[in-house]
Amino acid sequence: MDVVFQDFRQAYEEGNGYDLSMSLSPIAPDSQPDRLVNFYRSTNFAHVQRDFKYRILHDATSPFKLPADEGNGWVEVYHTYWKAVGEIVNAEAADGNASYVKVYEAWKEMTNVLIRGYTNCNFEAWTVPCLYVAGKYLRVFAIKADEGASSANGASSAKNFQDDDFNPEAEKNEKLEDAARVLNKVFQTCLSDRAPLEESRKWGIYNIINLLFKTYFRLNSISLSKNILNAIQAYRGDMPSLDAFPKAHRVTFKYYVGVIKFLEESYEEAEKHLTEAWLLCHKDSIKNKELILTYLIPCHLLTTHTLPSLALLKPYPRLQKLFLPLSRCIKKGDLSGFDAALVAGEDEFTNRRIYLTLERGRDIALRNLLRKVFIAGGFEEAKDANTALVRRTRIPISEFAAAISLGSHEVMDTDEVECLIANMIYKNLMKGYIARERAIIVLSKGGAFPGTGV
Amino acid sequence: MYSTMNPWAQQPPPPGTQGQYGYQQREHKAPPAYHSVQVRQSFNAPPLHYVPVVQQPFPPPPPPTMAPVQAAPPRKKIDWPQPVRNYVSRSFEPKALLDDVSRPDMEAKLKQTITDATDNNTLDTLDWDNLPLPQQMIRQERAQTWQQESVDLRMGGLGLINSKKRKSQELGDEDSNATPPWRTNNRIEDRITYDPSQCAFQDDSHKNTSKFQKNLEKRQKRFDTGYKSYKKSPSPEPTAGPVVGTYEVLEKKYFRLTSAPIPSQVRPEHVLRKTLELLKKKWRSENNYSYICDQFKSMRQDLTVQRIRNEFTVTVYEIHARIALEKADLGEYNQCQTQLRALYAQNLGGNPVEFKAYRILYFIHTSNRTALNDVLADLTTAEKEEKAIKHALGVRSALALGNYHRFFRLYLETPNMGAYLMDMFVVRERLAALANICRSYKPDVSIRFIAEELGFESDHQAGQFIVDYNGQDLLEEKGTELRFLAGKGFALFEAARNNAFRKVDIKGQI
Repeated sequence: MDVVFQDFRQAYEEGNGYDLSMSLSPIAPDSQPDRLVNFYRSTNFAHVQRDFKYRILHDATSPFKLPADEGNGWVEVYHTYWKAVGEIVNAEAADGNASYVKVYEAWKEMTNVLIRGYTNCNFEAWTVPCLYVAGKYLRVFAIKADEGASSANGASSAKNFQDDDFNPEAEKNEKLEDAARVLNKVFQTCLSDRAPLEESRKWGIYNIINLLFKTYFRLNSISLSKNILNAIQAYRGDMPSLDAFPKAHRVTFKYYVGVIKFLEESYEEAEKHLTEAWLLCHKDSIKNKELILTYLIPCHLLTTHTLPSLALLKPYPRLQKLFLPLSRCIKKGDLSGFDAALVAGEDEFTNRRIYLTLERGRDIALRNLLRKVFIAGGFEEAKDANTALVRRTRIPISEFAAAISLGSHEVMDTDEVECLIANMIYKNLMKGYIARERAIIVLSKGGAFPGTGV
Repeated sequence: MYSTMNPWAQQPPPPGTQGQYGYQQREHKAPPAYHSVQVRQSFNAPPLHYVPVVQQPFPPPPPPTMAPVQAAPPRKKIDWPQPVRNYVSRSFEPKALLDDVSRPDMEAKLKQTITDATDNNTLDTLDWDNLPLPQQMIRQERAQTWQQESVDLRMGGLGLINSKKRKSQELGDEDSNATPPWRTNNRIEDRITYDPSQCAFQDDSHKNTSKFQKNLEKRQKRFDTGYKSYKKSPSPEPTAGPVVGTYEVLEKKYFRLTSAPIPSQVRPEHVLRKTLELLKKKWRSENNYSYICDQFKSMRQDLTVQRIRNEFTVTVYEIHARIALEKADLGEYNQCQTQLRALYAQNLGGNPVEFKAYRILYFIHTSNRTALNDVLADLTTAEKEEKAIKHALGVRSALALGNYHRFFRLYLETPNMGAYLMDMFVVRERLAALANICRSYKPDVSIRFIAEELGFESDHQAGQFIVDYNGQDLLEEKGTELRFLAGKGFALFEAARNNAFRKVDIKGQI
């Protein structure tokens, strides 16, 4: 245990929150593979409290002195940490089929004690990284506990007697939902700190928010994220601006906000946040950049009708597989190819929740196809050599119909073709009108396909 | 166990009622020369108006309640009549014992019954053979009081912070005059046992805290109760495991549970099966939705509290869902649908294809893209080929691409009861299509075209629809034909469309 408390004392003297948080890590560092086991065995249930109290408060060999309330708070934290480590050591010894429920419960207790340390024992703001570590592994252990518990389910759900219907989702993710509640408490602990900004726990807020977002996404209750955003919004006057926070916190936060907006179909806002995340992201974090692009590319397709370049996709083979077939078809105006590519990638797209967005790319593919018909229509016969050439703007519907059935070899009835064209006009992808009685489309002489140069 | 000084010792205790109660030892004084008063157990627990139920661990049943009764002046010696003896032995027969009535409870009740009879001299007149057994009495009492009790429990359990009702009762207490209300009110503190080590931890001096905030926190902390307090959940801990019902009546009004269910008010599965048949018949003959809905809700509740999850559960939910659909009760429908989804995931039979298709249509109606995304992700390739699901997916994609032509074709050939759902959003899709047509067609189109494209049954209906949205000026007779002046209608129908697409709000929506 001496190693742990040496680290503790050193970090405390230096005021280094990250080093301090490492002394509460549930994973042994590579340099000391036996650290957790040794720590657990260095004392026992009977003496742990006394031992830790001695080491934290009364170690005469060190000149370092903690205020009593703070010190006692840490004694409690390390006491619960020691218990949690005990459970972890047991679980790892039982490798494979160990249940992480106990680990989770022990870790949760530690997290709660830590929270109380901030609210009751004057833990200082620079120590917030301890909350990060507690929160991070709380989520990890909850997921592991739920994975283990999914087969054997006991009386735990009996307590929901107020629900008229049972809730199997709640059983499946019981611990993770519990973890979300604890994390929310951490969030409140940070948010409600009224100390001056220099020594405020508010500096920990975005890290905790990111943990919460991650948890909510996994629980598929993304709507809860909005409560967090609202809370932040309500406190914005008392908060440091986002720019002042560590980059790592900002990137993740922006990414999640972007995805939340994306799922709400606010593509322009989504694009804004995702672009910020993209620009902030560390250049070597390939995986994170890939995640950002997964949503940023569909955003761009809808907002600006642009497709990703080959150069952009070069470092990301997975994204190439995801987006290239579709982009090729969109560019060519190949409707049936587009449909086929969408079906081919459907599972992947739906898993990433981008299917519905990409589907709308079909409009662009159709626009490109109709534009080709328009260009193929050539120019009106020049009345005299001096006037500039004018494109033929009265086009029989049958020509468009032929183009649409080109790829699929299925004849679409004229009413449906008209319907598709009506949509193009409605969405302002095409300018003109349908003259149904004459079975022609009259296109605008000045820019029939806005934004495409014709 | 019994002290010889105990007044009870002077008469034979009613047979079979000698429990191993520690509290008897409290009465080791000589027969008191006063009427004993019931000991107060806490500051503000009002005298309970009902027999405490041990099944609820909180508030703890005050064990000494019996003591004062027993401390009454010595009684004359009694020879217990045979009917009483029979009654007692019947009470203890194993098959008469009830799971939900604990033995000490039952014994206490028995003792009380006999004591009362003795006191009132009705020992010989009472019809002991037909008197309900003590455990049955307890059940009855519970049934009468459980509602009241749950309310009391709540008020007591929530720490009485903002219950005015409770406060007024307390003000009547003598001792509350002496102590300020926050002292008497602070019941949570009373309940908590302090661990000495934590006490020390709590009350440690707070030197070195110059910050305003720390002082503030310290002040708040005075009312805090140390590390353990958050673990003491004020709500009663329910008994583990599912309830097994014993209620035999087919019909039961729905009542939202506010405490753990009581077996005597829950119908077991074999009764519920008969209930379902009855309800099906009643639905056909009476068609009274509010009655049916209420009955189905209580059925679902009984299934849930007994954790019955089988093909029967699926049937109940499916039938309720269909009835709710028919009556356009989307809130109830959605609850059933959510359950069904979970039940299908356990492969319990039923009609998953039909209901998955409804689910897709439902999310189209509520414009819930996130949920729609989830549904799509959950479908297997085989399911996507099923007729109903294929239809629903077709509807979805037609709408996503604005293909109203295909949408209204699909509308006219909706399988099962999907049309009930589609009817709910077909109006807004018609408005959307009209806005579309108005934007892109010039100068006019025939009403026949509108009727065909928008799935109306007749030209007349199409015309009526346009008139309903104040489009009468856009209709024009041309020769024998009625024409729709599409080129002039855009502003009107675009506004109507936007109006119709405002958020759909449904209770029970997840």
